[in-house]
Amino acid sequence: MTLTQEKRPAVEPDADPRPRRSVWVWGWLFTGAFSVLAVLLALLGYLGEGVAGGHVDWVELLTESSWNPAGSVFGGLAMIYGSAVVCVIALVLAVPVGWGAAVALSEYLPGRAARALRMSVELLAAVPSIVYGLIGILLVRPFVGAIADVPGGDSLLAAGIVLAVMIMPTIVAVSVDSLAAVPDRDREAAFSLGLTRREVIRSVVLPKARPGMRAAVLLGLARALGEAIAVFLVVGRADGRLPGTFDQLLNSLVRPGQTLTTKLAGPEPVLAGTSGTYFASLCGLGLVLLTLVAVATVWGNRGASRTAGAGRFRGRQSAGLGRVQLDRFVAAVRLTALALPGLLLLGMLVVLATRGSAAFQPSFWFTSATGAAGGGVRDQILGTLLLVVTCGLIALPLGFGAGILLGVHASARTVRVLQTLTVVVGGTPTILLGLAGFVIFCSAMGWGRSWLAGAIVLVPVVVPMVALPTCARVRSLSPEMTESALALGLTRAQFIRSVVVPYAWPATLTGLLLGLARAAGETAPLLFTATVFFGAPAFPGGIVESPVQALPTHIFTLSQDSGDPQAVAQAWGSAMVLVLITAVLLSLAVALRNRFEGERWTT
Amino acid sequence: MSGALLAGLATACADGQSSAAGGGLRASGSTTVAPVAADAAEALKAQGMNITIATQGGSAGGISQLAAGQIDIALSSKPIADADRTAHPKVDFVATQIGSDAVGVIVTQPVADAGVKNLTVDQVRDLFEGKITNWSQLGGPKLGVFVYDKEPGRGTREVLDKYIYGDEKAPPPPDTDNFAIVGGNLETRNKLESTPGAVGPLSTGFVEGREKLAVVTLDGIAASPENIASGKYPMNRPLYLITNGEPTGDAKKFIDYLLSDKGQVLLEPHGYLSLEQIGK
Repeated sequence: MTLTQEKRPAVEPDADPRPRRSVWVWGWLFTGAFSVLAVLLALLGYLGEGVAGGHVDWVELLTESSWNPAGSVFGGLAMIYGSAVVCVIALVLAVPVGWGAAVALSEYLPGRAARALRMSVELLAAVPSIVYGLIGILLVRPFVGAIADVPGGDSLLAAGIVLAVMIMPTIVAVSVDSLAAVPDRDREAAFSLGLTRREVIRSVVLPKARPGMRAAVLLGLARALGEAIAVFLVVGRADGRLPGTFDQLLNSLVRPGQTLTTKLAGPEPVLAGTSGTYFASLCGLGLVLLTLVAVATVWGNRGASRTAGAGRFRGRQSAGLGRVQLDRFVAAVRLTALALPGLLLLGMLVVLATRGSAAFQPSFWFTSATGAAGGGVRDQILGTLLLVVTCGLIALPLGFGAGILLGVHASARTVRVLQTLTVVVGGTPTILLGLAGFVIFCSAMGWGRSWLAGAIVLVPVVVPMVALPTCARVRSLSPEMTESALALGLTRAQFIRSVVVPYAWPATLTGLLLGLARAAGETAPLLFTATVFFGAPAFPGGIVESPVQALPTHIFTLSQDSGDPQAVAQAWGSAMVLVLITAVLLSLAVALRNRFEGERWTT
Repeated sequence: MSGALLAGLATACADGQSSAAGGGLRASGSTTVAPVAADAAEALKAQGMNITIATQGGSAGGISQLAAGQIDIALSSKPIADADRTAHPKVDFVATQIGSDAVGVIVTQPVADAGVKNLTVDQVRDLFEGKITNWSQLGGPKLGVFVYDKEPGRGTREVLDKYIYGDEKAPPPPDTDNFAIVGGNLETRNKLESTPGAVGPLSTGFVEGREKLAVVTLDGIAASPENIASGKYPMNRPLYLITNGEPTGDAKKFIDYLLSDKGQVLLEPHGYLSLEQIGK
């Protein structure tokens, strides 16, 4: 960066003041920040107004297990129990494997293999939840039916297994990040004392990484709590199931149940109208769900950011031969744990590639659907791309602005508060976005189902993923650069436009692509706001009145007819197409990150 | 330019379209009616009509959305109930029947082969209330009963409840281990086929040609076209397109098409009866 040295003339008393420049920067930044708050306010407003619009018996909602609208009984306890059990099952299955895999990935593999496998795990984390739903109805449900010897297999256990598979990559990816943040010099110091690798990990690495690894669990929990579509077809959706004894509890695991999200994803929000006790009680369930997810997200986020104190050295003497053997055994166990996500990824790709082989024929991509389950998915691809591009165009400036404002302007305390709110928005269950969007756009504003409404309800999914990396990037700006720019007489707005924006945009772009990869796979919001059973044109003829087709909802519809071989083949093929699109977006994000991480700014 | 604009305005006024420019006819509701409506929409789409079919919330969901002004036509496999009119007093529901359908109590083929070929109304009630838990109690195999009932809002569920309880209100679902909820017809069929000992209500048209499923007779009456037409079969039901007020514009075109010969032939492939077949 070179600057022309020029002598500034003395300002004469009567000279016109210099025109104000870059004032628009502030407007843009505050608009971005406000958009994050606006989403939360809109959602809380929608739920709050619904609750206020009718009488909600909160005590009954939280203590009664029976849900019987016809009898005016609205008890949510059984659903809360169902959500809790499903999430516990998911965590019990996913956390040991996830943590073990993360340690193996971070501490045992050489650099090149670790990077390749890490990217694979991140790819798994980006697989759309509808694909896990497809795997659930076609593979997990019959599996549970077989091993538990129960009819069908609709159960809390099936739902828990699906969610475990879905959240494990998130736990691995976030845990690896926190393990990688432990300085190598700490490891080297421990090794120099003669400790085995296992002892180094246990005494030095894990204590420092523990807050981040705990955060990984909580973020995975938040995602599991908020998921609706992946478990909708496997949980059984039976109301009022609340065991009274331990034996009944065990039995309830393999029997149909209900969760908060599957209740909200069912038909009742549409049936309940927009006011009255019924609708108010459903909004109450939405508030309960939002509260649970927000608590888990905030708790996890706080854990991740806390600096771990230096771990106390607690090495112990033990028999020489035993130490070496124990070290090898633990290494084998951890590498086995790492193999599981790898096998999972490989298995998923094999299933998708073999059963979704239609995706490898060009005609599948470039022809329209015919009938219920024939033809190709050109229209669905175009619809998904339209939604993703529109969502990106809206989310990018908002997220970028919010991220820069968080990074540059706010005090440390305000930053933490706003960052927390941003994370809460990012963790919001998308089923609530769909319901709010349905009422706000399709009803209150008089729009029909439309691609624009669908794109807008996906924006909250993407904005946090743009804002948070941008904020982190900006805050890593060196003090020398800041001071140099200000010393040259730049105003704060000019500093932002000329220094901060160029510095931050690579991280922004990476976050955008990751966010779009996630948005591309969302099903629940689109079911309510953008897609229909039939009649969406390939190219929308309008803006606010024109629905669109999309791959996730296409897969969801087909997966309900998994007894029909043609529908099944079409569903797998569509899933493969969706995974490929997501993988392209993710690969671009990873490539950009790798490229710009290597870039150096000179002072 | 202004001439074209005026022509467009004139056309819009002549059609009496209430939706904004670019908006199409919006229909939503029953997954029983949706396939027929989609076939008709496909034919009319070729003639330039802009129409979409959604299936959010089932028959009652369609009625609810119609009342809220979110759609133009509700697809319903149940009549408008007094409760619907009471809940939406300002809406002038006009129901146009386009055909007829039968809801069957569906069991798996092995259960039917082993002896369960007919059920009385009391037996159906005991099944869906969880009081009969094994097929051997009905002369069938020693196999646990697993009940799939429709989610709230489905016309199929309402027809079954009416058959079992008449005008009385149906009790809440049973709190038993062998009970689960299903949504649209496709999901229902899939779950019934993949669950040994399953029983559930489903449009008989969705069972035709499915080797794993069987329709039982009800009090000795089979779900045959003759019995449906004569009204002898107790769980027959009309299929409706419902509008707010008399249909106009594209809605009228759509409904008229389905009432015409071209539209009526679309019912049989889905296993339903045309108006002619039921003598209307």
